[in-house]
Amino acid sequence: MQSTLHRLLYDTGTLVDGWRAAAHAGWGWPSFAVDALFQLGWAVAAALFLALNALFIIWFERKVAARMQLRRGPNRVGPFGLLQTLADTGKLLIKEDIIPSAADRAVFRAAPFVVLAATFLLFVVLPFGRGLVAADLNVGVVYFLAVGGISVVGILAGGWASNNKYSLMGGMRSAAQIVSYEVPAVLAVLSVALLAGSLRMGDIVRAQPSYGYILLQPVGFLLFLVASNAEINRGPFDLPESDSELVSGFVTEYSAMRFAFFFLAEYTNLFLAAAFATTLFLGGWRGPLLPPVAWFLIKSYLVVFVLIWIRWTYPRLRVDHLMELSWKVLLPLALLNLLVTAVLVKVL
Amino acid sequence: MSEAPAPDLSTSDEFLLNVGPQHPATHGVLRVVVTMDGEVVKDLQPHIGYVHRGLEKLFENRLYEQIIPYTDRTDYLSAIANNWAYVSAVERLLGLEIPKKVEYIRVLMAELNRINSHLLWLAAYGLDMGAFTPFLYAFRDREEITVMVEEASGGRLTTNYFRIGGFTRDLPASFFPHLQKFLRRFGRAVDELDTLLVENAIFVARTRGVGVISRERAISYGMTGPCLRASDAPLDVRREMPYSIYPSLDFEIPAGRNGDTWDRSWVRIEEMRQSLRILRQAAEGFPEGEHRVRVPRNLEPPAGEVYSAVEGPRGEVGFWVVSEGGRKPYRVKMRKPSFSNFSALPEILRGLKIADLVAVMGSLDLVVPEIDR
Amino acid sequence: MYAPTPPRGILLVLDGLASLGKGLWITFSAMFRKPITVPYPEKRVVLPLRFRGRLVMPLDPEKGDNRCTACMRCVKICPNHSIDIEKARGADGEPVPKPASYRYNLGTCIFCNLCVETCPFFAIVMSDEHELATADPSRLVIDLAAEKYSLGGKKGAWWQKKFRGEEP
Repeated sequence: MQSTLHRLLYDTGTLVDGWRAAAHAGWGWPSFAVDALFQLGWAVAAALFLALNALFIIWFERKVAARMQLRRGPNRVGPFGLLQTLADTGKLLIKEDIIPSAADRAVFRAAPFVVLAATFLLFVVLPFGRGLVAADLNVGVVYFLAVGGISVVGILAGGWASNNKYSLMGGMRSAAQIVSYEVPAVLAVLSVALLAGSLRMGDIVRAQPSYGYILLQPVGFLLFLVASNAEINRGPFDLPESDSELVSGFVTEYSAMRFAFFFLAEYTNLFLAAAFATTLFLGGWRGPLLPPVAWFLIKSYLVVFVLIWIRWTYPRLRVDHLMELSWKVLLPLALLNLLVTAVLVKVL
Repeated sequence: MSEAPAPDLSTSDEFLLNVGPQHPATHGVLRVVVTMDGEVVKDLQPHIGYVHRGLEKLFENRLYEQIIPYTDRTDYLSAIANNWAYVSAVERLLGLEIPKKVEYIRVLMAELNRINSHLLWLAAYGLDMGAFTPFLYAFRDREEITVMVEEASGGRLTTNYFRIGGFTRDLPASFFPHLQKFLRRFGRAVDELDTLLVENAIFVARTRGVGVISRERAISYGMTGPCLRASDAPLDVRREMPYSIYPSLDFEIPAGRNGDTWDRSWVRIEEMRQSLRILRQAAEGFPEGEHRVRVPRNLEPPAGEVYSAVEGPRGEVGFWVVSEGGRKPYRVKMRKPSFSNFSALPEILRGLKIADLVAVMGSLDLVVPEIDR
Repeated sequence: MYAPTPPRGILLVLDGLASLGKGLWITFSAMFRKPITVPYPEKRVVLPLRFRGRLVMPLDPEKGDNRCTACMRCVKICPNHSIDIEKARGADGEPVPKPASYRYNLGTCIFCNLCVETCPFFAIVMSDEHELATADPSRLVIDLAAEKYSLGGKKGAWWQKKFRGEEP
């Protein structure tokens, strides 16, 4: 029997299952209560991770962007500027919360939370390590793609409730963008599911060869990366929220912490898109020597780096180009990819 | 200025969009009122005058030497070209013979200024397009040039270097080593910026075929500079109305065939390369001599009027100076390229989508203080 | 010379993709170059000799006093009247060639250097001070005659050169 620490690091799933079985047997609680407590535990862990990740990833983006631009990035607050995000959060907390007088107050207040909730819900099926997943649903992939779409509601709500025609247009554009890029993303993921023979995230990770599906599905990986980039409103697809373009995005009227929540949701989405790509294409938590969590995080942040790299290199796409790209280029490619994968799976 | 007729909202989808005086994408304090039908621009009413400082009236009350610092500030990105246009006008009034060395220094400064201005254009344009990185690269290269100009004149942007008859001080000893280092490095820097922004597929898709103006219409609006040359009209003041030592220098005039936004961008990149060529030739052929011609301390040019133009980074910069024999000019009229280039904007944008407004305005390379004076 | 015509068909697509790749390579290789920012205020940029900072009236080391004779040339040449001189009066009430006060308006000065160039006595010079921001507008009008700007110190040699209008 290996030490608890070793099991905690390398085989968390069975360790937690053991605790849960013990709790079911020994505590005398009704079983749903034990399960609810454990799920609450997962939720707290996910929330903690969300906060820490936001702190790290924003610093990471600023540093990487700065180095690409021959600058230094934040280097004053904390060692290497690591506490910069904390300082910015503190600033946002003390800012005045302005709600436009003619805005729809209830919807205006709710919108950031809808977007954040949609993001938070995605942590349920993400496998951080061997068995380290809140609920390894047997339709995990479908869950991920579907719940990710709930953020559209929040965005539209934010754009509508601002009572500003430009926010509304920005919100609608953003919603249209997210919905259009869902389709190639789904098809790319479907090809992976075909290869793995299952929609469960855990199965997909285990079914991959050690180097991941990226070599078997290069086109799929690229498609998924581009589509995810567009779905999280980032990189060359950030027209709806850009400030130097004419029509400002749906976040215009938001200030202080409400804006911070949209911001937080965006950066968490960045991590989740990268994490999802890692799970499906790069082998998830698999890798020698280091604990699975470490591999998962390393691979995810590598994909995050690629997404940051893309954002800071290219200019923005115009709205009609964005739509054209999705429907006229990515969709046929995704369908072709699916067809070829299906044929090869059948034949080989 | 007359207001656009208010759209009739009961029968159409038209509405007015105010790209207000404060806007990240207008290069300066400029207001454009766009009548839109859905996404399409029906009409455009520019409103200028937010930076009007009454410079032409001010000049009537200033000595000829005192006007030079003000000319820096009409178009702060091409301070040298403005200095040169004014100073050459007064020198013509006085009938001065300018030494060869002065002309060489002027050409060196002017071409450095041209590269400087085009780099800033590229930086700001990239920013408008959403590409944040070319901004930093362009400013790194700009810094080298600015330091060279600063060592010679003392000022980074508002140089105030030219004087009537030459320069106050000769080029410093550090100038030519810096220039040689710059000449070695900059060719690759231009290629890098070119690849990163202008040749980028996304940029090309956003700018090719967008904002076309034909050669005839461009000439009829009085457009000059890269905006005109992109419309299949390779006209340059340095060739059409030659001045200084340009006739003896070997360089080409880049031009575009379609008159669209991409051509305007390409012309500016290519102009940077041609400026590099000119700089090399001027540095090689640099003569000895005086750096200024002595002019009387109390300068009183004879009565007369003169128009003198140079090729600035934005186009033809001209000064029409009328003298009545006193120490102050009777009238100074400035011909600024951005004013004419901007006047073509309504025609260029009519029928285009609103998303192209930013792309087209950026490609015209407007500097608003120049428009308003 | 004319702009190149774009390629057609599949070459256009390949060209486009190549441009995207080249762009990525440029930004990636930039990550390994030294940053161009100067970490102000720990390090400062070395200013050139001719830098046009704030106007000062240094003391002539031989005279022990400034060299201004209140000839008013700088007052007349300044484009926006940023200088105002009051001529000193001697014991008998007659004006002497010294300034009683030399009021220099830092708020309106455009740092054009015309006053320095026109002064025949090398009395004034533009220093390298550029960190001049202040929250108190009354500090913007300075009496240069009262300042007693010294030519000594670490930058003494540099100052002497600038003061005498020498070339570096």
